[in-house]
Amino acid sequence: MARYGMALDYKNCINCKACEVACKEENGVLLGADKHRIWVGANDVDGEWPLLDIVSATFMPSQCQHCDDAPCQSVCPTNATYYDENSVVRVDPDKCILCSYCMNACPYDARYVDDRTMTVDKCNFCSDTRVARGETTTACQNTCPTKVRTFGDLDDPESEISELLRTREHFSLKAHLGTKPKLYYLT
Amino acid sequence: MQVEVSRRRFLQGSVAMSVVGGASVGVTNLLAGHGEEKGELSVTTKTGTSKATEVATLCEMCVNKCAALARVEDGIVTKLNPNPLFPKSKNMLCPRGNAGIQALYDPDRLKSPMIRVGEKGEGKFKKVSWAEAYDAILNGTDKFPGMGKILEEEQDNRSSFLFCAGEGMAEHTFKTFYSAFGSSNWLNHASLCLQTVVSGYGVTLGGYPESDLENAEYIIMAGANRAEAIVTPDTMDIFKRTKGRGAKLICIDPRFTNTAAKADKWLAINPGTDLAFVLALTFVVIKEELYNKEYVAKHVNGFDKYKINILDNNYTPEWAEKITGIQAKDIYQIARDFMAHAPKAIYYPGRRSTFSNNDFQLRRAMAIFQGLSGGIDTKGGLVFGSKLKLDPHEGLEPIYERAKARAVNKVERTKGQVGYSDCAVVSGGGSWVGWRNRYLENKMPYKVRGMFIYKHNPMMNMPNSAKTAQMFKRMDLVVAIDTMPSDSVMYADVVLPECHYLERTDPVKTFGGIEPSIAQRNKVLEPMFDTKPVIEIMGGLTQKISKPLFDISKKYDADIRDELANLNGKTAKEREAEVYEEFNLHKPFEHSQEYINQQMVQGTYGKDAVKSLRDNGVFYPDMDKYFKKLSGNEHQYYPEKHKSYTVNGGRAKTNTNKVECYLPNLTKKGVDSMPMWHEQYLFTVPEGKFRLLTGRHAQFTQSGTANNIMLRDLMHENYIWINRRVAKKRNIEFGDMIEVSSKVGKTTLRAYPTEKIGPNTVFFVHGFGEESEALTWAYKNGGNDNAVIEDIIEPVYGASSMHETNVEIRKV
Repeated sequence: MARYGMALDYKNCINCKACEVACKEENGVLLGADKHRIWVGANDVDGEWPLLDIVSATFMPSQCQHCDDAPCQSVCPTNATYYDENSVVRVDPDKCILCSYCMNACPYDARYVDDRTMTVDKCNFCSDTRVARGETTTACQNTCPTKVRTFGDLDDPESEISELLRTREHFSLKAHLGTKPKLYYLT
Repeated sequence: MQVEVSRRRFLQGSVAMSVVGGASVGVTNLLAGHGEEKGELSVTTKTGTSKATEVATLCEMCVNKCAALARVEDGIVTKLNPNPLFPKSKNMLCPRGNAGIQALYDPDRLKSPMIRVGEKGEGKFKKVSWAEAYDAILNGTDKFPGMGKILEEEQDNRSSFLFCAGEGMAEHTFKTFYSAFGSSNWLNHASLCLQTVVSGYGVTLGGYPESDLENAEYIIMAGANRAEAIVTPDTMDIFKRTKGRGAKLICIDPRFTNTAAKADKWLAINPGTDLAFVLALTFVVIKEELYNKEYVAKHVNGFDKYKINILDNNYTPEWAEKITGIQAKDIYQIARDFMAHAPKAIYYPGRRSTFSNNDFQLRRAMAIFQGLSGGIDTKGGLVFGSKLKLDPHEGLEPIYERAKARAVNKVERTKGQVGYSDCAVVSGGGSWVGWRNRYLENKMPYKVRGMFIYKHNPMMNMPNSAKTAQMFKRMDLVVAIDTMPSDSVMYADVVLPECHYLERTDPVKTFGGIEPSIAQRNKVLEPMFDTKPVIEIMGGLTQKISKPLFDISKKYDADIRDELANLNGKTAKEREAEVYEEFNLHKPFEHSQEYINQQMVQGTYGKDAVKSLRDNGVFYPDMDKYFKKLSGNEHQYYPEKHKSYTVNGGRAKTNTNKVECYLPNLTKKGVDSMPMWHEQYLFTVPEGKFRLLTGRHAQFTQSGTANNIMLRDLMHENYIWINRRVAKKRNIEFGDMIEVSSKVGKTTLRAYPTEKIGPNTVFFVHGFGEESEALTWAYKNGGNDNAVIEDIIEPVYGASSMHETNVEIRKV
């Protein structure tokens, strides 16, 4: 039993997309640019060459926020979306009826359709691959060249993520929606 | 801070996801083999939770050689993970490293030896056995002559064969074959890559230095793009520290790259004018006496002359502003800030192709500027690091009397001084484009009729592809060793398929630096298909050709004849066997790679080192004591006091142990003795044209990864960057097809209007637009820069100047 979360030192991100490939290879995610559990958001830079606003070009690595109050879970009519024993938001492919309510409900655009399992799928913190094998990092954390991510147990005060959240300022995406994400962006 | 990032926005980058379907011509069916359907997508495999083996290997998706652990389940590689033990790659694998699996299982891989049955370049081959392929190389077929005939006709001039190789761990093995064969024509990627930067720093500092980006406080990164052109450990070290977190990064680039996005300041510079920028920085630090006077007095040679050169030529920031487009006030500030942070300040040397004709002098100026700060061979500055030695292994370098010297032409460059016709200095790797053009213009001092290519794609990798095609067509015999049916392989007469890097053990390699180590690529799987590692290919080939070629040498080589005549009390047969041993091409390939690696390591480091390399992929002395996991993301490789920051007393590594500002010997070769500016370096583009820039990308490594389906997932094709306002005026929208043309050719690709580039330049990523129909996904996908880039040669080393071409663009 744990309460898993992730801290992102997003200023480290260089938008190389190593995490996206590692995620696909680890979790057997289908090929296709519209099939991904994890992504790096990049806005077009503001301004006119050569006077460009560097801050507007910040890269935002992201994935399912594993909200404590997940809209995708509350709208699911079949309980296909559920919290597992580690507070990870999971999807049961046997129960999913592809109604796509969850896709509409998710404010973070974290879900996609897996055409093979006919499931609306998303990031599960490598719960059925790496974490199930006893690994302590997700594929995205492990492979990252600039070490953006720290995955761990929020309930364990000794964990690296707890230490980071105690000592570094951080914010959540769309905090005003009250979804209580378990992804924390370190400033 | 709130940033809106949606999946839909992300998807904009992936328009036109139409699958380039199976172009099926005879050749593609043959190459596919084993009944696979073309166009079938290779898929990802979810890793399991049951037992798996892990093999320590090294990545070869680019040049970095990051350490990886291959997870093997039921004989299938399901995942490549970073190996935390390697100090160079520091527990990371980039997108390409992760996508190595898709290269292994690429259905387009070369699967068996082939010989040409169609016209040259047509790509029609027939599948043959290894024995048939070796026989075709020695004896030819009805379509092409063999080595025997060529060497007979050229009277044993071994230099009638050209050997060329791309970068890779088995390049060493291929070069062993070249040395034994006895040709003097060797060309590698250097003149298309980092020749001028390595040489510029080499003559000025005595070596190409590393940058201590873990400790530098101020970094100028000009014309280098470490966020996209990933170099380990530089990329990992720097970007954790920018944005007010310990290191200030100044990015100088005509484009707003991902490095610019991670920088504290980005300044757009006119292409090819970095030299003026550095000269002006130097002017400020000399004029304002900001340089490290003690260091300069002790460790810099020719400073007085350089000072006069800089001041008398009035290389002021105001002067440079007009040339570079960077404001004078920024130049003043950067010069002052740099020296304030010195010696923990770095003008990053970079590791890239030659962009402009003044590149050698630019690198000299950068190295001297660093020297003036005293930030050399010291923590936080440029460092030489140390390297763990490896023992040599047996090679063979016979001398053939009839083998002619390298095919270069000598001319009088300055009065009384002989130089070369197309460049001042002929380096080990040669001048590829210079060589090719001399060959086409019939200016060779003798006939070169055959060539061996290893992991090298001249059709894609050097300017003016049309000329490269002509060169291939004119060669009597082309033998290609590769894993993929590249554009160049299509011009081969005999194709020898190398196995994938996960299917072979390669030569053990030592990696120098602040934290030096030795690493080894271990075989993960047995080769699939009828493919082999280079060492076995060379073993088989030399067994076939060695004796017959020696018989030709016996006829023409006076030295060999003399040796044979001198019986020394032996029978003629015994004597011949004895002499032959010196010319036995097979000799260097008698042992396995595993055995050779052991020979190179065991003597100095013992059996445990051999075992560590096999089991862990990495070894360095005291690794068991030093290596520590500090957190989920951080590891210690060496304790601070054992890191090689200073290895030469803070001095340069030149013969004088001083930074060399002034090199009068260069004048004799017609090269400036000190960096200086010339009018012809000015950046100008005729009205209506654009300067073409090219570059790297974090998701692709030149043409080598163009067929990787996973990487195509991330970027489907390359796009041409056009300034948004210019595009609007020309009615060009995102995704429109654009024809790009220059004096030498044209190519077509899609448009990406953006403010990340200026109005008179365009850019696209190198490595796309291959013409080989055997590459399902790379075939005619995107545009090929080298179809358009003119073959302009940099005057010092004959490197190709990649950013000197003006192009026209047209919506089609």
